[in-house]
Amino acid sequence: MKDEVLARNEGGMWPWLTQRVTAVLVIVTIMIHLVLTHLFGSAPLTFADISDRLASGAVLVNDVVLLLAVLYHGLNGLRMVVLDWGLSGAGRRVFDAVLWIVGIVAATYGLWALWVWAS
Amino acid sequence: MSEVSAKERETANVGAGLWKGLGMWAWLLFRISGLVLVGYLFVHIGVISLGRAGADKLDQMLDLFHNPVMVFLELMLVGAVLYHALNGVRIVLMDLGIGIRAHKTVFWACMAVAAATLVVFVWRAWPSIF
Repeated sequence: MKDEVLARNEGGMWPWLTQRVTAVLVIVTIMIHLVLTHLFGSAPLTFADISDRLASGAVLVNDVVLLLAVLYHGLNGLRMVVLDWGLSGAGRRVFDAVLWIVGIVAATYGLWALWVWAS
Repeated sequence: MSEVSAKERETANVGAGLWKGLGMWAWLLFRISGLVLVGYLFVHIGVISLGRAGADKLDQMLDLFHNPVMVFLELMLVGAVLYHALNGVRIVLMDLGIGIRAHKTVFWACMAVAAATLVVFVWRAWPSIF
């Protein structure tokens, strides 16, 4: 069994680095998402309004990048909170696997949901 | 930045290990907002996926959000995003070794940016609340 080489405050080097990379991606894409939806979009929001926005390929790409980056960032953040409670060893590996499965399922489901406006 | 000690870095960054002062509250609120936003993320994906069932199904669901209380809650959510984002900017700056000696000033500068941005969203949402 592999040794636990965690550190970078107990979550591991790669999760630490990707958390920061996805943070930057999320900040940029979520601000575009919020500004377009809530400052320039219709109030109240409707299916048709979302259609108009996502007809633009750039907006669609923005939302896809946001979906994937924020899922990674959110679940990796949740992992950090749980590891701080003292989860380690086999429990941590099982938890990591569960988070990957949840993330992949949610990403697939989210892309499938967005596809209504993309197709 | 090489002259910055590990202890100083820890003090400035997220209050990690140092359970006191501004860093502690910034860290605590960062975690709480993060957890709230993860929860909302899954709700959001679920709600938007109703578009798959048809435009009318999604619009019926969106109608539930068209009242002052929900708009106010959405505004709180934007506030949580902005706090989490700007405190995150501060953390990345600390990681890069920028502004560690002035971490409280950096914190309040980030909060000023967050507040100013929130004001724009409040201004837009105001007619939907009152």
